[in-house]
Order: sequence, then structure tokens, then C-alpha cells
Amino acid sequence: MKFLISLAFKNLTRYKRRTLITAGAIAFGLMMYIFVDSLLLGIEIESVRNLKWFETASARILNDDYWENRFQRPLDINIADPDSIMSKLDDNGISSTKRVEFSGDLILNSTDFGEDGNMSVLVTAVDTERDFDVFKFDTTLQEGRFLEADDDAVILGSWLAEDIGAELGYWITIVTRGNGGFYEAMDLEIVGIVNCPNPNVNRTLIMMPIDVADEYLAMEGAATEISIKLPESADIDAEVIRIQGLLNGDGLTVMSWKSMAADYLAIAEAKRGGTGMILFLIFLIAAVGISNTMLMAIFERIRELGMMRSLGMSDKKIRIAFMIEAAGIGLIGSIMGVFLGLIVNFFVVKYGINYGDMYRDMDIGYRVQAIIRGAWNFKTMGIAFFAGIFISTLVAFFPTKRALKMDIPSCLRHQ
Amino acid sequence: MITVKDVKRIYQTGETEVNALKGVSLNIEKGEFMSIAGPSGSGKTTLLNLIGCIDQMDEGDISIKNEHVSKMKKKEKTNFRRKNLGFIFQTYNLIPVLTAYENVAFVLSLLNLSEKEVKDRTMAILKEVGLEGMENRRPGKLSGGQQQRVAIARALVKNPEIILADEPTANLDSDTGKEILELMKRMNEKHNTTFIFSTHDKMVMDYASRLVILHDGQIQSDEKR
Repeated sequence: MKFLISLAFKNLTRYKRRTLITAGAIAFGLMMYIFVDSLLLGIEIESVRNLKWFETASARILNDDYWENRFQRPLDINIADPDSIMSKLDDNGISSTKRVEFSGDLILNSTDFGEDGNMSVLVTAVDTERDFDVFKFDTTLQEGRFLEADDDAVILGSWLAEDIGAELGYWITIVTRGNGGFYEAMDLEIVGIVNCPNPNVNRTLIMMPIDVADEYLAMEGAATEISIKLPESADIDAEVIRIQGLLNGDGLTVMSWKSMAADYLAIAEAKRGGTGMILFLIFLIAAVGISNTMLMAIFERIRELGMMRSLGMSDKKIRIAFMIEAAGIGLIGSIMGVFLGLIVNFFVVKYGINYGDMYRDMDIGYRVQAIIRGAWNFKTMGIAFFAGIFISTLVAFFPTKRALKMDIPSCLRHQ
Repeated sequence: MITVKDVKRIYQTGETEVNALKGVSLNIEKGEFMSIAGPSGSGKTTLLNLIGCIDQMDEGDISIKNEHVSKMKKKEKTNFRRKNLGFIFQTYNLIPVLTAYENVAFVLSLLNLSEKEVKDRTMAILKEVGLEGMENRRPGKLSGGQQQRVAIARALVKNPEIILADEPTANLDSDTGKEILELMKRMNEKHNTTFIFSTHDKMVMDYASRLVILHDGQIQSDEKR
């Protein structure tokens, strides 16, 4: 075996350029694999984070019947006494905030906006005292100020503001139906614009104080949801069960962010599958390259192969020698590939790639906007390293087998 | 030692059948220095390949040391070659990335000998063929004659009873060819190794103690000297 290893590695130096080109192809494939995986992992981590920080929170308490009717935004299917529940959660060290979500028509007046117009919108009424305990809007203010209690005011997402031409100090009117079905019109001043990293929120966000909404909509202290923040390290399913236990079955249900974002998670999973196919193709191209190199290496040495077989070297040992040689190419390619992957990854993690212009007008499902950063995944690098060697070794098997099918006199005559 | 009995070999070239050997019979004794001669296409390499267990006959029988090699399976033939036969090729067929020492030691590495024994035997045989001091040179740094000496050392190092050489001097000039033949003759006498070589070179034929001439796949003459 020592001789076979020594022979294989000496043969690698025989055609240095070809060895390097093939190893380079493997390295490129592995680098791409590491790069794409890093980017995907980065997107997923950031996407989930932005989902929880700006959309779903870690978990949410809802009326038992609310989730199945959620697209109608019913105000009458609500949590009647959210304050007592939040107080119970406070006692258990759980941060929470109440919200009222309702749909309505946004009326734009030509006085401020230059022309009259209207559009359907979703409005979120927030507890100005507690919302920052659960959501992270405090880091997103682009212009103006945040909401205060009793403020007849709204905050808009920057993309929505841009789309409708809104500026600070402009007034908007929201027409909706209050709790009980009556029509209500609210005149509200734009006091702040936030640039939220979650594009879905930034594209649609209209936020107003919950006490003002309570009066307009006759909610009488009720809320449509209580959002909950849990530590990142928490076992979300166990926490949901624990919180559900605290509610004593008051006709309320606790949903984790995973349940609420099931559609997103399914899409992300499908995308991972699609990306897996691309990565498989990258590996396939590298494998074809190695196979071709090994085929050339073997057929250039057919006479040598005939000599070895004549002298009594078994086919198995010859096959092992060529497979070790291929493994050597794989090893060089893997070292180069992981090294290049580390360099590329460093820049992708530190500086990221700016996709802002692309994401502005397109919803691709991920909750990220502008700069996408990668993430370190040493497991992937390990997999890439060993896969490079394994695939190289494996693909050498077939051309060697083919060459060994030739009879020895033909091998010795081979030019 | 070697009995070749009515051996036939037919090659299929496209639609055409070529009768390379048409019933060849021979007895070769231990220690013979025998040349198989004849024009191109006469069947000398085919006969050598069949005795060397690297080709499959269509009819007949060959036994070496009372073992019927024609009935052996592929693996058995490989083992038989490894233990009993040495080969010398016209184009030397050395492994270019290995040194002279490694090219010779390669054969012993197949026999699972100790490192010390491999080293001792390799150095001894290289000295015997006149390559002392050149052990670390790669084939590219050796002359044709020196390369053929490495090939002879490689064939002899495992002390086989039979060495088969296919036109061993064809790629060498006449002086070097003569040197190689003298070396082979010396080894034949010293180790009592049976040498069978194919050639169409008159000088090589003159060195042989037995000359078998083939023509159209049949023995035309068999002369012991």
C-alpha cells in the first residue's frame, strides 16, 4: 500500500498542469458550493430574524377563532382583556405587547399628495409603551419620530411612503369598519417613516397608537393579538405549551412563529431543494472534469498498465493506485476549494451583497432587503472537503475499470 | 520445464480471422537461452505472450513447471506471473516517475517482502547489471541501454525461473544491443534462468543457444547449438 500511495502521488506531478486544472475545477465547484450555502444560510437566518422582529414575534396569543378568519381581520373575534393576560405574562418574566390589526381604505388627499387617490391597506395599532419590548422598530426610524399615546398619527414603511409620495406632516384618512360594523374615518398625520429590514413590512406598514384605534373602533380595551418575545435559545414549542397553560383555556390559543410562518418555511424548504439541485449540478460538472482527466491519464498510460499487469500486479491494486491518484487530485482541489471558500465567505459575511434594487419591486418570499450577508457554516466546509475527495475517487473507478477490460497484449501494443 | 502442445491462436480483425499460430509444439528445458525468430507477423510475439500467460490460446495446451497455465483463471495467471515469470519489453516500459531503484523494487513490493529484503535485493541486482550509483536516476536521465538494464534488473530481481523478452534490443544501437545480450547471457549462466526472447535481429539469433524460427504461425526450424 505504501508503494501504491507513493506511486499515485508521484504520478500527480507527472502532468502538473492537468492536475492543477482539474483540481482547479474541483476547487471552483467547492468554492461555489460554500458560497451559495453561506448565502442561503445567511438569508435564512436573517429572514427568520426579521420575521420574528417585525412580523410575527416569537409567538402570538389569539382568540381561538381568529387564525382561520385572519384574512378578514375581524375585530369582533378578539382578546377581551389583554391587559390581565399581559400582566400574567409579566409575572412569568415573558415580554409581551397587545396589538389591533384591521384593514381599511387609505384615502389620499390632493392637498398633500397632489392628487386624490385610495388603496386598500392593513393597519396595525400598537401599544406605544410596550411594542419595543417585543418588536425591533426602535432601530428602524428613518425620518420623524415614533408614535406617542393619544397621538392622531401614523408611521409608514419607507417603501409605502415612497410609493404614495408621502412626507412627514402629510395627513391621510383611513376609512374602516369598527367593532360592530359601523363605518369610521380617521384623519391621521404622518409623523415618522421607518425603513424596516423586512421587505413585506416595509412595503405595507401603517402603524398607529392602540389607544387612538381603541376609541375610533370601539374596541373597549380589546386587542386582536398579544405578541410575545421569547429568548432566541428558548425551546419554542415547550414555551408555547407553557404559555397556553398560563391562559387557563380562556378561549385563547398560542401560536409559535413557526406555525404562523408555515407557508414561508415551506417555500424556504422548497428553495433549499432547488438550490440543492444547482449544487448537485456543480458537483456533477466537477465530477465529469475529474472523470475526463482520469480517463486521459489512464489511457495515456495503457502500456504502463500492461507492464504492471504482466509483472503480476492485480487489477485490484491497479484500480486502487488510480483511485488514490484521483483522491490526490480531489485532496488538492478540496484544499484549494475550501481555502477559496473561506476567502469568499469572509467577504460575503463581512460586507454582503446588495440586492436592494432587485428586492424593492419583487417579493421572493425571503424577509430580507438590500444587503444579504452570508453565514459561517463549518459543517458545509467539512462536507465540501470530504465530498471533493470522495467524488474524485469514485469517478476514477469507471475509466480504470474500462481500461482494465483491455487484454494485456493490447495494452502492451497501445501507442 | 515448458511444454507447448499444438497451440493455436486466431485473432479476429474486423470480419477477417488471422491465424497467428497454427498448431505450435515445443519443449523448453530449464536454463535455455532461446530465441524465437521470424519475420513480422510470423507469430513470435503471440507465442511469447501465450507462454507468458498474458494471452489466451484458442486450442492446445501449455504447461510450465507441470502447471497447465491454459486452464488457469485470470487471478491464478496473475499470481503465477508474479511468482514465476520475468518480462523484458522492447520499449523498456519503465515507470517514468520512479527512480531506477523504485522501478526494480516495484516488483518485489508485489511479493510482500520486508523493506530490508527489498532494499538488499534491489541494490544487489542493480550492481549486477552495472547500474551502481545510478539508483536514484529516473528513466528520463538514463540512456536507452541503461533503461534496458533497469528492465533486466526488474525482470531478474525476484529470481524467476523464466524470463520472456520481446525484441529486447530492437530499440538499441548494435553496440548497446550487444552489451545487453552479453548481460542477459551472463545472467542466464549465473542464475540458470531460462531466457526466451523474440527477435528478427541476426546478431541476437547468433547469441541464442537454441533458435526456433517461425513462419506463418508454424515452426519452420528448431536448432540447438
